[in-house]
Amino acid sequence: MRKQVPLLLTFCAGMIPIIALFVPERHVSTVSTTLDSWLIIVAGFALLLGVVNVIQMNTNKIRRKSSGWPYAIVLLAGLAIMGTFGFAGAFDVFGGIATRPDGSSTPFDWLYQNAFLPLQGTMFALLAFFMASASYRAFRARNVEATILLIAALIVMFGRIPFGEMVTKWFPITTEWIMARPNMAAQRGIMIGAGLGAASMALRVIVGIERSYLGLGKGE
Amino acid sequence: MNLERIMQVDRRIIYLFVAAGTILPIIFVIGLPVSITPPVQMAFDRIENQLNPGDVVLVSFDYGPSSAPENAPMADAILRHCFSKGIKVIVIAFYPLGGLSEAVNELNTVVAEFPDLEYGVDYVNLGYKDGAQAAMRKMNENIHEVFPTDLRGTPTGEIPMMKNVKTYADVKLCVTLATGIIGEWWANLVNAQFGLPVIVGPTAVSAPKYYAYLEAKQMVGLLGGLKGASEYERLVVNKYPHLAEVYATPGLYTATKGMDVQSIVHLIMIAFILFGNVVYFTGKRKPRKAA
Repeated sequence: MRKQVPLLLTFCAGMIPIIALFVPERHVSTVSTTLDSWLIIVAGFALLLGVVNVIQMNTNKIRRKSSGWPYAIVLLAGLAIMGTFGFAGAFDVFGGIATRPDGSSTPFDWLYQNAFLPLQGTMFALLAFFMASASYRAFRARNVEATILLIAALIVMFGRIPFGEMVTKWFPITTEWIMARPNMAAQRGIMIGAGLGAASMALRVIVGIERSYLGLGKGE
Repeated sequence: MNLERIMQVDRRIIYLFVAAGTILPIIFVIGLPVSITPPVQMAFDRIENQLNPGDVVLVSFDYGPSSAPENAPMADAILRHCFSKGIKVIVIAFYPLGGLSEAVNELNTVVAEFPDLEYGVDYVNLGYKDGAQAAMRKMNENIHEVFPTDLRGTPTGEIPMMKNVKTYADVKLCVTLATGIIGEWWANLVNAQFGLPVIVGPTAVSAPKYYAYLEAKQMVGLLGGLKGASEYERLVVNKYPHLAEVYATPGLYTATKGMDVQSIVHLIMIAFILFGNVVYFTGKRKPRKAA
């Protein structure tokens, strides 16, 4: 039962949307859209599962005094504070989650604007520094392939800024051609490959060949 | 000077150049010209030429604060365009890490510029919903079931502009400002299965993959990164000159101002890459001294 019931549920959850896509019958689509409603609820619980996982992982880290454990305290404190204000806001304790009707900030919004937003912005902004350093070291015309990549990158970088057009109008034109033709062809190849991989993986899960998601031990 | 030492330039020097290239154009605004690319022109034309006042556009905030400097100006420009043309806007958010807060921020900013707009009649904020893919599919059946109330807690069915908007068939266009994969779902799920025209405003780093959807006509426009946002700003200002005053507001962050920074940093990176290659080839050609 521990194995058969989840496998049956997975089979049904996987097959219903596929059948609904190809069978334009009202009763089939009704079942599929009902399943979509359930999925929205399940996704909410998956988020809760993530929160539980974060708490477990970081509590263990603090208990064992693993490397970087003080950061785990900061993370849990952030989760508790934002979570509390978010939940309270959802029950209209502080006038809502985002801004109040008069435009003033709720505690959740204040934390978002003054802590979360600048922290996230800073993390993302750091990428520019790392990319500049990495591109200086990695972008070398060592062979034909690397040279083609280097030339394409330089044209696109020039073509995406006004200076490129000031030098010659061909920079933005060539940039658009690179993006719309060679880049698009490569992206399609990647997408088709990823799509076929995802489809085959989905089929393996639906028919019960791939069972690692069940979390069963060896031989079960 | 030893070429090896030049090749191994201290990364802090590179960081210093990037920092200077970022900070100086913010202080001393250059105002570089912006040229329009076809994917952005397509997006603009779709709204300007194929939508009428009173039509409904769905604007999905599928990004968080990490990519807000790129996505927020797109959102502002799209909202300004829609409101200037009298198009009604439904705002939703599918991105869990701040999508809703970004939606509230940008909507509040832009709505303040249009005092005649009325909430529930000209625009509405339906808030955040988890499980984006399932929600997107379900919205084709009934938007009211996916978003039973708006952000203020008003039942969706009681909101005047939502009374006649039940499914995707009642919406003329979807614009998603996206980081990550949610933008792709609008193109490969909502457009492919339900036929709703989609414009995507992704970050510059994700823009290349959207060209495949654009060429396949699964999208009707693309605003790639900050450059795309600055182009859209230019198009909107050209068509609606009264918005030039808004964009000239001191202290207001716009993509056009951001492009100054991006341009200088691109130049710095190009210079470093070229310098690195010149040093690399000089080192390769230099005959080695006999031991």
